[in-house]
Amino acid sequence: MSRFSFPLTILFWVALAAAPLVLDGWNLGLLAQLMIYGIFAMSLAFIWGQGGLLCFGQSLFFGIGAYAMALTTKGMIPGVPAMTLTGLLLAMILPALAAGLLGLALFKGRGLVGAYFGIVTLSAAVIAERLATNWSYIGGFNGLLDIPPMRLGWGSWQIELYDPLPFFLVVLVAAIAAYLLLLKLERSAFGTVLRGTRDNETRAAFLGFETAEYKAAAFAVSGGVAGLAGALFAAQFAFVSPALLGFALATEVLIWVAIGGKEVLLAAFIGALAVKSVEKVLSDSLGQYWLLVLGLLFITAVVLLPRGLLAPFLRLTLPRALRRPEQATKHPTPEGRQGQNAP
Amino acid sequence: MTMDTAPFLNVRDVVMDFGGIRALDGISLEISRSEVKCIIGPNGCGKSTLFKVISGDLNPTSGQVSFAGETITGLSPQKICHRGIARKFQVPSVFDDLTVTENIEIAMTAASKHYTPFGLLRGGPDRSGYGAVLAESRLSEFGDKLASELPHGIRQQLEIALLVVTDAQLLLLDEPTAGMTEEETDAIVNLIKGVRDRLGVAVLVIEHDMSFVRKLGSKVVVMMKGAVLREGDYAAISEDAEIRRAYLGDVEPC
Repeated sequence: MSRFSFPLTILFWVALAAAPLVLDGWNLGLLAQLMIYGIFAMSLAFIWGQGGLLCFGQSLFFGIGAYAMALTTKGMIPGVPAMTLTGLLLAMILPALAAGLLGLALFKGRGLVGAYFGIVTLSAAVIAERLATNWSYIGGFNGLLDIPPMRLGWGSWQIELYDPLPFFLVVLVAAIAAYLLLLKLERSAFGTVLRGTRDNETRAAFLGFETAEYKAAAFAVSGGVAGLAGALFAAQFAFVSPALLGFALATEVLIWVAIGGKEVLLAAFIGALAVKSVEKVLSDSLGQYWLLVLGLLFITAVVLLPRGLLAPFLRLTLPRALRRPEQATKHPTPEGRQGQNAP
Repeated sequence: MTMDTAPFLNVRDVVMDFGGIRALDGISLEISRSEVKCIIGPNGCGKSTLFKVISGDLNPTSGQVSFAGETITGLSPQKICHRGIARKFQVPSVFDDLTVTENIEIAMTAASKHYTPFGLLRGGPDRSGYGAVLAESRLSEFGDKLASELPHGIRQQLEIALLVVTDAQLLLLDEPTAGMTEEETDAIVNLIKGVRDRLGVAVLVIEHDMSFVRKLGSKVVVMMKGAVLREGDYAAISEDAEIRRAYLGDVEPC
C-alpha cells in the first residue's frame, strides 16, 4: 500500500493511452493483443482475489465470448443480427450467465470450496474444449476462420476497425471500462461483503447473507469480463479454435495473475502484459526452456510473494469511509474510549 | 395472549440426538423482550448445541423453537438472522483480513437488508454513518486496523458490535468473555447492559465466569445433561447446594 500506488496507476493508464504516439502499427497491434490478455487477467483477479475462488477454468468464459463474437458477426446465430454490437453483447451475456448458473449450482447448499471448486471449473473448461472440438457447426477441431473485423457506427456511418490504431483504441476503452467497473465493485459494499465471504463465510452467513448468491454474482461479472476479452481476441485474430476454451489458456492466465498479484486488478493486468512480452523475447532466445523460467517465476511468486510481485506497489488504499470514517460530532472521542485497554 | 406477555424466544421440549448421544434432552427455555439471561452448566451439558439449534445451525430431532410468536425451527441460519436473531461464536469470529470499518460495513449492509447482491445495485448502506457507528461501539480508534491486529478483548467486542449493528433483537453470546482480562470483561458487561437498555435487545449468554454472571445481575439458567436443572437469580443459584455439587464441585474435565 505504497503512497505511490495511485500516481503509478494513473501514470500507467496515461502511458498506455499515449502508446500510439510512439509505437508503429505492428507494435500497436501487439500491445492491443497484450491488453486483451490483461482484461482476461483482471477477470480472474476479481473472482480469485476478491472472491477467494480459485477458478481453474477461466478460459471457459474467454472461449465462450470468443465463439459468441465469431458466430454472431459471421451471421451464424439465427435471429441475431450480424453486428459487432450484438456480438459484443452476447460475448458478455452468455459467459456471465454460464458463470452465474455454474456458480449457483456449485455454491448452493454446502457448497464447493477450495481445491474442489478449482477442479470442477477445470473439468468444465476441458469438457467445453472437447465439445467444441466435436461440434462441426462451430467449426469443430479447425475452429472458425474469417471472422470479420469490428465495425462501429450505424448505417452508412460505419467504420471498419481494420487498422491497428482504431482497434487499439477500442481495446483501450474496453480495458479501462473493465478496470473501472471491477474497481468500483471492489470498493463498493458489494466488494466488502464479497471479501468478507472470502475471509469468513460462516460469519457472513450468520449475519444473514446468502453467500452463495454473492459468490455467484461475482463469478458472473468475472465471466462477463472474460467474455469481453475473448470477443476482442476473436475480432483481432479473425480466428477462434477450441483451444481458447481449454486447459492451456486457463493455466496461463492463472500464472499471469499469480505473478502480478491477485488482489490488485492493475497488478494482474500488468502481470499479463509483462509475462507475455517477456515470453516473446525469451522464447526466441531460449526456445522451450522459456517455460522453465516461467515455472520458476510462478513458484517464486507463490512461495515467496503470495500476494504477487507487483501488487505491493500498486495496491490502492481503501476508500476513506472504510478506514477512518468521519467522526460523529455528537460522540466526542474520550467518552468513546472508556473501558478499553489496548496494549 | 398479547405480544408483550408471550415469551420473545420460546424453546419447547427440544431434543437433539447425535447418533446415540442425546445432547439436548427435552429442554424448554424462555426469554422476554429486553431480558438478559445467562446459561451456565458443565462442559458438554449442551449449551452450545442449544445455541446451534436456536440459530439454525442444527435441526433439532424434535421440539420447537419460536421467536416473536412465529416458529423458526428448520429455517436456514440466514432466515433466522433475518428474523432478528444473531449469534456470536464461541471462538471469536470476525472478518480478520478486513479493517474494523469494513467489518462494520458488512454489518451495516446486513442491517440495510441487502442479503443478496441484487438490491445493492441500487445503492448500498450510507457510508457517512460509519463514524457514528464506530463511536457508539467504542471502536473509533481502531477504524483502520485489520481485525486480525486487534487485541483479543477488542476483537470479541467487535464481533458483538457486528451483531448489534445488524439490528438483531436477540443476541446469542457464546462465552463472550473467554480469555479476557477483568477490565475487558467489565467492558462487555457494560456493552450488554447498554444494548438491553438503549435498544431493548434481549441477550442470552453462555458463560463460565461466575464473577461475570454476578456483575451482569441477570437471571441464571443452570443446564445439566441437556436440560434445565434450575432457573433463578444469581444469589439463589449461587447458594443452591445441589448446583454447587453438580456444577461448581463436579466439573467434568472437558
